[in-house]
Amino acid sequence: MIWVTWRQHRAQLLVTGGLLAALGLLLLGSAVEARVYLAEHAPPGCPGSAPACWDLAAALDARYQVIYSIFGWMPLLAPALIGAFWGAPLLGREYERGTHRLAWTQQVSVARWLGVKLAMLGALAAAGGLLLSAMVGLWRRALLREDLFGNIGVFNMVGVVPAAWWLYAFLLGTAAGALLRRTLPAMALVVAGMAVTVFALFSLSDHYAEPVRAVLRDTTVLSDPDARLVRGAWLDPAGRELAGPPTGVCPRRPDAGRSEAGQRAYERCLFAAGYRYAVYYHPPTRFWRFQWTEAAILGAASLALAGVTVHRTLRHRV
Amino acid sequence: MTDQVTNQVTGQDTGQDIALRTTGLGVRRRRTWVLRDCSLAVPAGRVAALVGPNGAGKTTLMHTIVGLLTPREGTVEVSGEAAFMAQDRPLYGDFTVAETLAFARRLNPGWDDAFARDRLAAAGIPLDRRTARLSGGQQAQVALTVALARRPGLLVLDEPLAGLDPLARHDVMRALMAEVAERGTTILISSHVVAELRETCDWLVVLRDGRVRLCGDIEELLAGHLVLSGPAEAADAVSGAVSGAARVVAASRTGRRVRLLVRGAPALDARWSARNPDLEELVMAYLRGPRAADVPRTEAVPA
Repeated sequence: MIWVTWRQHRAQLLVTGGLLAALGLLLLGSAVEARVYLAEHAPPGCPGSAPACWDLAAALDARYQVIYSIFGWMPLLAPALIGAFWGAPLLGREYERGTHRLAWTQQVSVARWLGVKLAMLGALAAAGGLLLSAMVGLWRRALLREDLFGNIGVFNMVGVVPAAWWLYAFLLGTAAGALLRRTLPAMALVVAGMAVTVFALFSLSDHYAEPVRAVLRDTTVLSDPDARLVRGAWLDPAGRELAGPPTGVCPRRPDAGRSEAGQRAYERCLFAAGYRYAVYYHPPTRFWRFQWTEAAILGAASLALAGVTVHRTLRHRV
Repeated sequence: MTDQVTNQVTGQDTGQDIALRTTGLGVRRRRTWVLRDCSLAVPAGRVAALVGPNGAGKTTLMHTIVGLLTPREGTVEVSGEAAFMAQDRPLYGDFTVAETLAFARRLNPGWDDAFARDRLAAAGIPLDRRTARLSGGQQAQVALTVALARRPGLLVLDEPLAGLDPLARHDVMRALMAEVAERGTTILISSHVVAELRETCDWLVVLRDGRVRLCGDIEELLAGHLVLSGPAEAADAVSGAVSGAARVVAASRTGRRVRLLVRGAPALDARWSARNPDLEELVMAYLRGPRAADVPRTEAVPA
């Protein structure tokens, strides 16, 4: 059965491996180039947080952004591809070509046929996600980017979450193939389903924990750039939270929302009048808690999808 | 069931083991019964023809026998392993012939690889060719090899000859005959063309509207039925004479004469000529005859 699984899915497995290898080479090249640049241009004592190192950090940041723009869509794109090309054809193509009547009338039972395929390809998908996570993590370290939490796109490319995303997408595709019995519609359903899931989980992730509340006295921006901001609100001098920016207290030019200078002046005036700014946020120390919460949600959804697939396939074999 | 005629095919009267027996099979799809009260038996070593019009439930019955469908009611008993060749002879088109054999070997503990390779070598089928690039006849031989090399006790073939040219049909049938001669495998073949099964099959199962209408040894069935031909006005008398185990299966009227196919031997007067039917007449009678087993009255006979 392992050979059969390999033979039937080797094209997808090899292409995925090739894409991961290409991405790895790109990241490796970028990291090596950054290291060479660092060795040649770093002033004494850098990299570090001293002002002398800021130019260096900016240069590294520019190098980071070039590569990041290439795979910023990776949290959505990579799992969607897995779902469409690994998951959807698994059953969809068998039904489409009638070969399920060949495969499922051999001495090996349908349950075993399906079980081995789901387990083997599911494990490989999760491993692929982990590999991507490891590569991105190492690359970011080489470019001295230690922030992994604040940007939700980056958060979903590191840690254990990519493995859960890849597994979920694979099983979503398999379930779509089991229900629709056609590869192409199942692929379309995977892409739509992944877009919905990504959007839903990105919105939901603010609620993985009770946000921390901080009251700022002279700025509306959190000092920790890697914190994940949930929301902010003005407090009046009595400490009551306001629904919107206070009115009638400080002059606010109509373009205050767009002009940074105007906005700053408006905020300074409010702080001087005794107003405070409350920020609800998740500190980066919650990285693993959020990682495991998201992985658990996706893992549970994956199990449910696997259950749907197995139930549907065993109940309606032809 | 009144409209179901099943010969007594127990071990005692044939002196043979039963290779396949279904009892009271019922299969539902959505709200309708695709198969209902389906009981049949095929003794070991027989080549059984499963005939019926399209939509009679032949494929459903075969899928139930090989375990692709779970019946809502009833049971299937197969002595030994059942191998199946599905309609359109599905194969993985991107597998080479050798990979197709490897696929079957890994999914079947009882696989006989030497037999499979010998068969394909004898048929002149290259092992390194992708199955999608083989001719229809070669694909049929590969699919048949996949089924045969499992060394099954029962071989179930769904329309194995459909879409093949006459030479390929002959090759498939010859291969089946060789299998029966060498290993005594029981074979169940479905077809909606009776003629192509006449030479090879010795057992008959007629399926209509999801029910078994006739099941038994072909020679015995032919001997047990009569085609009667006589004047239309005498038909009532025959209907009256038909009693007990005998009954009118089908009747047709052309002008002033009527033709009846009856089961058993009614007492007849001299106005009637009688002979045994051929296989096609017998099958057609059971497929065309009235749905219920009631003895038809002459007024009800379609012109």
